[in-house]
Amino acid sequence: MQLDYKKLGFKSGLEIHQQLETHKLFCNCPSIVHDKNPDIKFERKLRTSAGESGKIDQAAKYESKKQKTFLYEACSTSSCLVEYDEEPPTQVNQEALEIVLQAALLLNATPVDEVRVMRKTVIDGSNVSGFQRTMLIATDGYIETSKGKVTVDSICLEEESARKIETKPNYTKFRLDRLGVPLIEVATDASIKDPEHCQEVASILGMILRSTNKVKRGIGTIRQDVNVSIKGHPRVEIKGFQDLKSIPKIIEFEVKREIKESKNKVDSHVRKANSNLTTSYLRPMPGAARMYPETDVQPILLTKQFIKQIKIPELITEKAIKLEKKYKLSPTLAQELVNNELFIILTKQFKKLQPTFIAKTILEMPKEISKRFNLPKENLKPYHFESVLEALNENKINESAVLQILADAANNKKIDFKKYKKVDSSQIELEIKKLVESNKNVSPNGLMGLIMKNYRGKVDGKKAMELINKYHK
Amino acid sequence: MLILKANLTVNNKVKLTTKDSKVFEGIVLPDTNSKKVVLKLDSGYNIGILISNIKEVKILSKPKKNITKKKTTAKINKKLPTISILHTGGTIASEVDYETGAVIAKFTPEELLSKFPELKTVCNINSSLIGNMFSEDMRFSHYNKLLTAIQKEIKKGADGIIITHGTDTLAYTSAALAFALEGLNTPILLVGAQRSSDRGSSDAFLNLLGACQYLSNSNFSEVGICMHESSDDKSCLILSPTKTKKFHSSRRDAFQSVNAEPIARVFSDGKYENISKLHSTESKLTVKPFKENIKVGILKAHPNMFAKEITNYSTGFNGLIIEGTGLGHLPVNETDKETKENSKILRAIKSLSKSIPVFMTTQTTFGRVNMNVYSSGRKLKEIEISGDYNDMLTETAFIKMSWVLSNYPKSKVNELMNQNLRGEISKRSSKKEFL
Repeated sequence: MQLDYKKLGFKSGLEIHQQLETHKLFCNCPSIVHDKNPDIKFERKLRTSAGESGKIDQAAKYESKKQKTFLYEACSTSSCLVEYDEEPPTQVNQEALEIVLQAALLLNATPVDEVRVMRKTVIDGSNVSGFQRTMLIATDGYIETSKGKVTVDSICLEEESARKIETKPNYTKFRLDRLGVPLIEVATDASIKDPEHCQEVASILGMILRSTNKVKRGIGTIRQDVNVSIKGHPRVEIKGFQDLKSIPKIIEFEVKREIKESKNKVDSHVRKANSNLTTSYLRPMPGAARMYPETDVQPILLTKQFIKQIKIPELITEKAIKLEKKYKLSPTLAQELVNNELFIILTKQFKKLQPTFIAKTILEMPKEISKRFNLPKENLKPYHFESVLEALNENKINESAVLQILADAANNKKIDFKKYKKVDSSQIELEIKKLVESNKNVSPNGLMGLIMKNYRGKVDGKKAMELINKYHK
Repeated sequence: MLILKANLTVNNKVKLTTKDSKVFEGIVLPDTNSKKVVLKLDSGYNIGILISNIKEVKILSKPKKNITKKKTTAKINKKLPTISILHTGGTIASEVDYETGAVIAKFTPEELLSKFPELKTVCNINSSLIGNMFSEDMRFSHYNKLLTAIQKEIKKGADGIIITHGTDTLAYTSAALAFALEGLNTPILLVGAQRSSDRGSSDAFLNLLGACQYLSNSNFSEVGICMHESSDDKSCLILSPTKTKKFHSSRRDAFQSVNAEPIARVFSDGKYENISKLHSTESKLTVKPFKENIKVGILKAHPNMFAKEITNYSTGFNGLIIEGTGLGHLPVNETDKETKENSKILRAIKSLSKSIPVFMTTQTTFGRVNMNVYSSGRKLKEIEISGDYNDMLTETAFIKMSWVLSNYPKSKVNELMNQNLRGEISKRSSKKEFL
């Protein structure tokens, strides 16, 4: 069934949460997201409390009904009394604030005059205090997409929650390493046009955040929440996408599910993205009643002077275009090489080599080595690349030897350039001539196999084939 | 500008346009002042906007006046004991009133029960508001007010009394009540919270529940303190009113026994175990309040001390507690030309102790004063600094001396200070009574 999203009154907005690469937001603990050997354990209960308006948030009420015990384990390397809710917070991590302001300016948003830290009630245990600290930093930005401008409503700075370790009927266990790591939250308005557009917006926002060069990388460091609604149905928020590619299919399935669901029978709620691309009910939608002021932290005035001295970083896409032109690289390679210092060093060092070859050596060969030879590419260190490219630069080896030598290095073998020493071309020609004459019934490909058996890495394959064809008639 | 400001009345819902044409809609909050307006946006976030950046303000709606709240009355269960809760301030029952911005205490029995519904199954609650202050601001007049309120509740027939209190000086108040309520036969527990009760993780819930449970179920009939035993929400300790100190500025297990064991342990399910022997008195209650003009000072000994620090107390003070180093010392030995000031210190303290009572405690907190081991101590003992062999907390000694001076002739002070009246001095030092 092909869906007409315009006709369905499809509305969608995106929220991106990305961990920042700096110490924790309200204490001086390092941001170690996966710490080991917990040495501190304690047990707590959480209660609901009313927000500023005197109302108790419906999402908070829902959790409170469960009356669970929360077990916490923590590592003293990555958490302190602030995470245990045994000490008031310090002032906001200034570096985190500046990273978010950089992102805000890249997103064309306007910083607020004065930031007020809020407590967002969260009583599923993932925040020891019973709330998540969050603050609105900037509003009203936009990004350009292939389907027009998308408004960025808000940019917030907030605390990461604790990591859930175990769920049992009577208790839930969390580890506190991740708790308090600074997160930037970017939320768009509901002007995303269709599921593919949503993926594009997510990818552009991710690129902009990475452009600050101060965000964490790897699985779990960025999360997307998608808000979806169609005419006559309540808004639904979907959390927990595994990767960007799954976004369009999950939204499509969700819209189909909503079409089947009887109208107006359910309230707005939060759903979880499942690995089979369907979604399932998670909890009611939290509202404004869950927010109340964090009275332990003073408001922060963002003066014009302060905003002026925030350096706006260059976008990754812009940097990539520059690299592409300067080194004559393919767009994909250029994208991958942004902020890659090794590449810049090696191109300066080895002027005789093609930048594209250097790029492939440091980016693609490690992947090939792990795929083809099943060797740990992590073993490859900058000096491995440097010494192998040096040998190539000095014409001691052939290009085709590079992969072999790196594979040896990944396999923890000593690099032996002699083994791959370039063989004199007249010697090779003689050898090939002999071989062809004594194996008249063998095909050129078969001959190639025989040659490579003895000379792998020492001769250029293309050249060898040329010579085979020359003598094979 | 004037009209603009007039529209920014607290609780108005407004639409605000800034000079760079950004539009914000939200409710004006009380933090608003002449320089900035604080808005609660629909998203729940608060932000501050500089008045100088505002171009236009439109009122979208004004607050509804006189909202009458539904009144519910707490039903009385005759099978359960009745506990009176007297609130003096502190985080335990305070809330920010978002209409006025002030911190208010929500303290009718109904408000308390809606906040702590599990209390319903433990006891009936009476409550009254004695004050709403930071505990560090308290004066002896507040102790006396509290004493009057306690007497009133006892007369009304309360089975137990809970005093909710800021934690900073909670242990001073507990000592004050213990001394002032002679022959007490109604249990009184002071309860505080280290984390405010407007958060889901507050220690207030368990501390208050534990106090209600212990008052309802045990034979305890003195003054005590009920606070978290550890970082876990598992148990509270019932602690001595005169041998307890706040040891941490923020942890929930900040209150610990000093030179004594806790009185009892109460678990979150209401079960309890007594740790030390309970005292019960058959005598009649006599209230011996504080004289509000009594002046007692506390002086901490330290290196490089000056005689002036002592002579400061020679006029206007009725008594002095010295928190000495180690076994109860002051720098009073002149051993070389650098230590001449120490002879002056000895002369100053000698002259002071002739006019007002001077009592020695130790800044080690744990352990006992003994002014017989070193020459400093012997010199001080010679000039009649009292307190030899006592293991009282400095805070308790301060309260006790103020109370003795309020109720007895000056000539009785030294004798009473060295006599155990409310468990404040123990005869034996047990190995268990340390961190």
